[in-house]
Amino acid sequence: MTLTREAIVEHLKNIVGKERVITDEQVLKENSHDRYKKFETIFGVYTTPIPAAVVKLADTNQVSDVLKFLNENKINSVAKTGGTATEGGLETIVENSVVLDGSQMNQIIKIDETNMLATAQCGVNLGELEDRLREQGFTTGHSPQSKPLAHMGGLVATRSIGQFSTLYGAIEDMVIGLEAVFPNGEITRIKNVPRRSCGPDIRHVIIGNEGALCYITEVTVKIYKYFPENNEFLAWALDDMTTGFKILREVMVEGYRPSVARLYDAEDGTQHSFDQFAEDKCVLMFMAEGNEHLARATAQGIAQIVEKYDECRKIDSRLIENWFNHLNWGPEKIAEERELIRKNLHIGFTTEVSGNWDCINTIYENAIKRIREEYPHIEDLTMLGGHSSHSYQTGTNLYFVYDYDVKDCKPEEEINKYHIALNALIVEETLKAGGSMVHHHGIGKYRTPWTKQEHGSAYYILKGLKDQFDPNGIMNTGTIYPVE
Amino acid sequence: MKIAVCFKIIADYDRLSGKDWEWDECRFVDMSFVRRVFNCFDESALETVLKLSRQLENVSDTVELTALTVDDEQGDLFLKHLMAVGYDHAVRICCNNRLDLRFNPLVISHLISRYIKQEGQKLVVLGMQGGEGDNGQTGFLVAEQLGWPCIREVIDVVRAESPDCLKVFSRIDGAILKQTIKLPMVLIMGHSLNSPYLRVPTLRQKLNAKKKQLTIVSNIELGLDNDALLNKDKTLMDLYGQKPGKSCVFLEGKTAQEQAQRLYDQYLKERLS
Ligand SMILES: Cc1cc2nc3c(=O)[nH]c(=O)nc-3n(C[C@H](O)[C@H](O)[C@H](O)COP(=O)(O)OP(=O)(O)OC[C@H]3O[C@@H](n4cnc5c(N)ncnc54)[C@H](O)[C@@H]3O)c2cc1C
Repeated sequence: MTLTREAIVEHLKNIVGKERVITDEQVLKENSHDRYKKFETIFGVYTTPIPAAVVKLADTNQVSDVLKFLNENKINSVAKTGGTATEGGLETIVENSVVLDGSQMNQIIKIDETNMLATAQCGVNLGELEDRLREQGFTTGHSPQSKPLAHMGGLVATRSIGQFSTLYGAIEDMVIGLEAVFPNGEITRIKNVPRRSCGPDIRHVIIGNEGALCYITEVTVKIYKYFPENNEFLAWALDDMTTGFKILREVMVEGYRPSVARLYDAEDGTQHSFDQFAEDKCVLMFMAEGNEHLARATAQGIAQIVEKYDECRKIDSRLIENWFNHLNWGPEKIAEERELIRKNLHIGFTTEVSGNWDCINTIYENAIKRIREEYPHIEDLTMLGGHSSHSYQTGTNLYFVYDYDVKDCKPEEEINKYHIALNALIVEETLKAGGSMVHHHGIGKYRTPWTKQEHGSAYYILKGLKDQFDPNGIMNTGTIYPVE
Repeated sequence: MKIAVCFKIIADYDRLSGKDWEWDECRFVDMSFVRRVFNCFDESALETVLKLSRQLENVSDTVELTALTVDDEQGDLFLKHLMAVGYDHAVRICCNNRLDLRFNPLVISHLISRYIKQEGQKLVVLGMQGGEGDNGQTGFLVAEQLGWPCIREVIDVVRAESPDCLKVFSRIDGAILKQTIKLPMVLIMGHSLNSPYLRVPTLRQKLNAKKKQLTIVSNIELGLDNDALLNKDKTLMDLYGQKPGKSCVFLEGKTAQEQAQRLYDQYLKERLS
C-alpha cells in the first residue's frame, strides 16, 4: 500500500528527528527544481511535483535508515548536496519524492600528508576543502567553476571536471576510496589503495551514478603539492577552430600536460570580452603549472608548437590570467544572473559533449550549422558558440553555449521552446558524428532520450547496475535511465 | 525626437586587486590587462532610453537615438554593440590620447554640449558618476552649457501625455519624485531598478550592426583645440591608496541576551528609529 504524504513525513520524523524533516512549502518548491529550470524558478513557477519532504541528513546511519524505509515503501528519493546540478538531476518528477539533503554532512575527516589523501563527507564544499588544503600547501587539483558552491558528494555523483583537468584529470582520476549507501540500506566502503587488480574497479559503479544507484556519504581524493607561484599563462588569437583543435591535439600528443588548455570561438569569446583584444578571432590559451621545472618546460614546449602556426598572434598573458582568476561562480554571481534574467528576460545555457580528434571539428561545425539552419526561433538567439576546455590524448570536449531572449512564452514554456530544442540538436549531431552526448554535467533528466543510443550494446551493463542495485526503482527516477 | 545618451567605458574594477593599484610617474594605473565595461550608471541610462524610445515610437514621431562617448579606438567595440541594440548613431569624440581627462569633467562637458548644439538633440541622458574620476559633475555642466533644466538621480523616464514632455522619476531625500517636464532637458541617471542592465543584441542584430558606420569627431571639429583641453584650474598633485579603516568593539555582557541588548541600545536603536 502506498503511504500518504503525511505518513511519509511522520515516518521520516521518527527516523531522523522532526527538526531534520523540512516541509516548508517554499523550501519544497525550490527543491523540486535545479538549474535546468532556472527560468521557471526565477519567476516562481513550479510545474514539477513538489517533494513530500527534504531530509537534512546527519550521518551515514541516517542515510541507511532513511533509504531502507523509502525502499521498503517504494518512495522515490532524490539525493542532493550542493544543489548546483544543471541537467535536471534534482528534479522531483515523481509525486511525493523525498529529497535527501547531505549538505550538513560537512566534516573534513582527514588530510593525510604522507599518503597524499583527503577524506571528506559528502556535504563538504569543495572550495572549503581547497582552502584548508592550500593553507597546508596542497590542492586536490579539482576546480570546477562551481567550486564555491558544489559539494564533494555531488561532484563525485556527476563525474564532474575542473578547470585544471588536463593536468590533474577529472574527478574519477582523483577519487581513491568511497563510502556509499545502497537503497536497501547496505553501507559499503571502498578502501584507499593506490591501485589494485582485484576484479573490476567498483569505484565506477558509484562515481557518476547521479543518485540513481546509491547515496555517496564519504569521499577520499588524492592531493597534490600546490605551486601557484610557477603558474604561467599563454594565449594566442587565431582565425578558426579547425587550426585550434589541430594545435590542441599536437600539444596533447607531444605529451605536454598544461593544467588549462582552452580554445574559444569568436562568439563565445565575446561574452568573456575577448573581442576587446581579439575581435572576430578564436582564442587559444594554456596554463602551465606544477613544480618550476615542469611548469617552465611545459610553457616553452607549448609556445614552440603554437608559434609554428603563422595565423596565431600572441596575446598579453595578463589579460587571460586576470580573466581566469574571475571565472568561478559564487553566490553573488548567481544573484546577479537571477537579476539579469528577471529584468531582461535573457538567459543562457550550455550543452557539453566530447569527441575524438577526428570528429570534434565536425561536431562543432555541424551542431552550429544545424541550429542556424533548423532552429525555428533563431531570431531570439543572442549568442551561439562554444569552446573546448578539457583535452585528452585522444580527443577533447566541446562546451556549446547559447543565450537567448525569452519571447512570447510563459515561464513554464521556456524549456520546451528553447532549451530542450537546442540541447537536442547538439546531442543529435554529436551522436551522429560518433562523440559522447555528455562530457561532465551528467545525463540528468533531459538527455535520457539518448541514453541507450549513447551506450549502444553496452547499455546492457548500465541497465544491469540499475536492476541489481535499485530493483524497486526508488533512486532518482528518470535520471540517467529513461522512464519506460 | 532626437535623444543622446553619453556613456563612458571603464576598466572592470571588480577585477582589480589591491596590489594592481600602482601608478606610474604620470599617475596612471595600468589597467590594460583588465576587461572594460560600461560604467554602471551609463549602462542604465542606455537601457532606459532604449525602453523610452520604444514607447515614443509606438505613439508618435520617429525617435533618433545617439550614443556618444569621449574615448580612443577602444570605445568602438562598445559603440558597435549599441548600434546592434538599437542606437541609430554611434559617435566617438576623440582627443589627443596623451591628455589626462580623468579629472576634467569641464572639458568633457564642453565636448558633449558642443556636439549636442550641433546635432540638435532635445534630451541628453548621462550617468551620475563615472568610475574613473568619480567627478559626478559632467551632467550638471552639460546642462549649464546648454541652458537646460537638469534632474539628478533619475531612476526612470517614460512617455508623458503631451509629446513635448516626459515623465521623470528621480530619488530625492529618500523619496521618489515624479515630475512631468518639458523638453529639452538633461537627465542624470542614478541607480535604476528597472533597467540595471543593457540588453544583449541578437545574432542578426550583431550582423546588421557590422555594416553600420561609426561617427568619429575630433575635438578640433567641435571647435576646441588641444590647448583648450588642458586642465588649467586643477593640477593632480598626488594619488594614494586609502587604507580601509576597520575597528572592532567587543560587546560586554554576561549573557547573549545582555550583549544583544547592548548591541541594540548602542548601535542599532538610533539607526532603526
Ligand atoms: C555556475 C556553475 C558552474 C559549473 N561549473 C562546472 C564545472 O566547471 N565542471 C563541472 O563538472 N560541473 C560544473 N557545474 C555543474 C555542477 O556544479 C556539478 O555537476 C557538481 O558536480 C554538482 O555538485 P553539487 O554538490 O552541487 O550536486 P547537486 O546539485 O546537489 O547534485 C548533482 C547530482 O548528483 C546527485 N547527488 C548529489 N549528492 C549526491 C550524493 N551524496 N550521492 C549520490 N548522488 C548525489 C544529485 O541527485 C544530482 O543528480 C557547474 C554548475 C554551475 C551552476
